[in-house]
Amino acid sequence: MSDVDRSIAEAPLPTAGTLRRRKNLFYQVTRFVAFNFRMMKMVTRAHH
Amino acid sequence: MARVVILGAGISGHTAALHLQRQLKNKAEIIVVTPNSNWNWIPSNIWVGVGKMTKDQVTFPLAPIYKRKHIGFRQAKAVAIHPEGSPDNPQGFVDIVYTDPTRSGQEEQLTYDYLIVATGPKLNFAATPGLGPDGNSWSVCTAGHAEQSAAALETIIEALKAGERKTLVIGVGHGTCTCEGAAFEYTFNVEHELRERGVRELADVVYLSNEYDLGDLGVGGMTFAQNGFETSSKMWTESLFRERGVRAILRAHVEKVDPGVIHYEELDGSKHTLDFDFAMLLPPFRGVDMKAYANNGDDITDDLFAPNGFLRVDADYAAKPFEEWTPEDWPKTYQCPRYANVFGVGIAFAPPHAISEPRKSPNGTVISPAPPRTGMPSGVMGRTVALSIAERIRRGDQAPLRTASMAAMGAACIASAGTGLRKGSAAAITMYPIIPDRKRFPGSGRDLTQTSGEIGLSGHWTKLLLHYLFIYKAKARFGWFMIPE
Repeated sequence: MSDVDRSIAEAPLPTAGTLRRRKNLFYQVTRFVAFNFRMMKMVTRAHH
Repeated sequence: MARVVILGAGISGHTAALHLQRQLKNKAEIIVVTPNSNWNWIPSNIWVGVGKMTKDQVTFPLAPIYKRKHIGFRQAKAVAIHPEGSPDNPQGFVDIVYTDPTRSGQEEQLTYDYLIVATGPKLNFAATPGLGPDGNSWSVCTAGHAEQSAAALETIIEALKAGERKTLVIGVGHGTCTCEGAAFEYTFNVEHELRERGVRELADVVYLSNEYDLGDLGVGGMTFAQNGFETSSKMWTESLFRERGVRAILRAHVEKVDPGVIHYEELDGSKHTLDFDFAMLLPPFRGVDMKAYANNGDDITDDLFAPNGFLRVDADYAAKPFEEWTPEDWPKTYQCPRYANVFGVGIAFAPPHAISEPRKSPNGTVISPAPPRTGMPSGVMGRTVALSIAERIRRGDQAPLRTASMAAMGAACIASAGTGLRKGSAAAITMYPIIPDRKRFPGSGRDLTQTSGEIGLSGHWTKLLLHYLFIYKAKARFGWFMIPE
């Protein structure tokens, strides 16, 4: 097993709850709003 | 009337053209020279590459847009710049050769008052024998390439459905490639597609990259603050690879691609081969093959362009070790130091050095990513240079130039990991600044409050939203300028 394979094998696996949240429509709508807000803040800075 | 010539109509060149026209209206003649007839929203090519979008959904013809906006359009390739003009006329000009089928091969000299070089990269498949659609691997660099990849992938899926085992290798085809993010996206879109089609179990999906660690992405990796801890993009990305069962080969330089076999060297100098049934390997980039001449006819290509073919701008190109790299090395105005009316933006400007730590194998092979400068930074550069030139045309040559250093700019990167309004996902990343500044931000070199990453369905929605928004903007439809770069 290479170092890279070992490192991947030891990486944290998302829990079932995390995987559900990643697909949950209600939760993802809030993440969509939060991420786009953060992105707009960044874009605003980039334009100065 | 002043004339501004823009070489290239990708994200930076097209953005510059639209902003110049909006700023100057009838005060200047804007001419765009590009060998392609279509504009391409390249970030969505990965969806074309898995058959989820068509070429027509990610491209549109430029000519009608430029006609409507009163921007001159030459479907042609620039072959030489004469920044000092000729012995008879000091006005700079470019030699162009038409690629427009109705005028194919015809030549023209196009004078300019200001020149923006936004030619993007030359896809340097020739750097690796056997690389590319004319060789033994596929690409998603253009919409046409992506369509070919989708057709090849479909053949593999059919074979998997018939019960055959297949190895799919996706990554970069040279030790000095950039755009690892696109390879990452295509890997997980293919993996997603295989699962959706019920054939994942029979497929071995391998990511092959020149990155030292997963999550480097050519920006030296990132650090995120999550749940009270500082998390590296390495661990974050490895987690996704583990979850989705994708193998990775890192620190690799592809030496050649034979039919069904990739030959590569690793950073420790060892040589390996990897058998494959399907390979999508991105090529390294270099500048387009353009020459430059002084007014006496002397070849000044090496003065204007760096050895990698990209245009030298106001960066600090002095060779220095990684430990001495600073954010100040990076260009701010994108003005050519020797000719004040020439600018280079997007991928076409020569970066002072990489962002990721440079590494060589004991055999002297460079195996480390070149710096990415696509997407959002390209658009911001195009707009900034357009505003600088507009200001100079209105107020004269002493008007101050605007700045947009990648060391003072953030970026958002949405790396798709599968499509579908309910089943899609993407890694949504923001980082500030793009170029790490370890004096301002000790440790990672980036602001932890503005550098973040999360995986989920909402990332896919954002990427899809950006697809429609940026195509709307590029078509210069009502209010286009209100959509930021």
